[in-house]
Amino acid sequence: MRTVEELIELANTHLGTALAPADAAAELTELAEWDSVHLLRLVALLEHELGRPVPVDAVLQARSLRDIWAVAVGA
Amino acid sequence: MAITLGPATDGRTAEAFAHPVRMSGPEGPWERVRVAVERHGSVVVHGRLEEWLPADLDDPRLRPLLGRDHARFQAMTHPQVRSRFVASRLLLKHVACAVIEASPESVELAYKPGGRPYLRGLDQIDISLSHTENLLLVGLTRRGWIGVDAEAKDRPMLGLGTENQVCTPYERRTLAQIAEERRNAALVRLWTLKEAYSKAIGQGMRFRFTEFGFSPQDRNVQVLRPDGAPGTGAEWAFHTCLVDRAYTVSVALFDAGFGDTDDTAAATMLDAGLIAALVEETGEAGDRAE
Repeated sequence: MRTVEELIELANTHLGTALAPADAAAELTELAEWDSVHLLRLVALLEHELGRPVPVDAVLQARSLRDIWAVAVGA
Repeated sequence: MAITLGPATDGRTAEAFAHPVRMSGPEGPWERVRVAVERHGSVVVHGRLEEWLPADLDDPRLRPLLGRDHARFQAMTHPQVRSRFVASRLLLKHVACAVIEASPESVELAYKPGGRPYLRGLDQIDISLSHTENLLLVGLTRRGWIGVDAEAKDRPMLGLGTENQVCTPYERRTLAQIAEERRNAALVRLWTLKEAYSKAIGQGMRFRFTEFGFSPQDRNVQVLRPDGAPGTGAEWAFHTCLVDRAYTVSVALFDAGFGDTDDTAAATMLDAGLIAALVEETGEAGDRAE
């Protein structure tokens, strides 16, 4: 996973969301269809995609999809 | 394995909770909310987003109603997020004001560092807020701390990798014993209980959901350690029920043991001597500032 856009595509494919690339920097609380269930499902998807554990504590501190991507890839 | 989703039937929780009260708009009637609080010390209220959404989101009367939240509201751009924000705050304020007998404009909603809402200056009352789809949910207690959470009862959660992020080893074992057609609903129930408890203790999701759990039965519910051993005592009460036949709603209530506060009216619940001392001190401070 090289870009946050790929993370957004992953979410849309598996979570049924309709996120746009422009949502990458938005506060998660500002995303209409985003909630805590989505967040944990995304963690599971990322772990499957990356083949390694994702630091959940750091993901929970994330304020945007870009933050989540950065935590997941260790950027 | 039985899972009960209905009005509280367990003696201990029945004392703490009434069945959630449906409120379809600011005009009330609010008597059921006040009666529930008088009888149980706590109340859970639910409403539909469309019922609590003002016709005009640019109405200037929203500014005093939302108070400090109005600036945050104005900065929001997504229509659905704005609608949910304003409707949920209006429901929350009206519930609180029905109990404390004050006007919504006179009550200020504030947030603790983790985002937990509280009513500034009204320490005797604790509140909690949740929403999912078009359901708005508010919990209020004068006994201690409260947390509420709601989720669509049939929201797919099972088999999507979330169990490992959500469940303790004990919960995964007990879930596996539940009939397959009821297992997802059982996981949704566990999820809402965990969210409600996390909100009540002010931790949100920072307290990992795999570090505490619940049993699959809705009787004598208590927090369990990852291995299923008891984790909390009688000071905590939990309950789960169905709302509008579509939503699983869970409530977590911590009884601080200070007893109930019969008088929560804003005009009378503050100690007169304390008020006099504060006014005097404020006046003196004001004089010095001038």
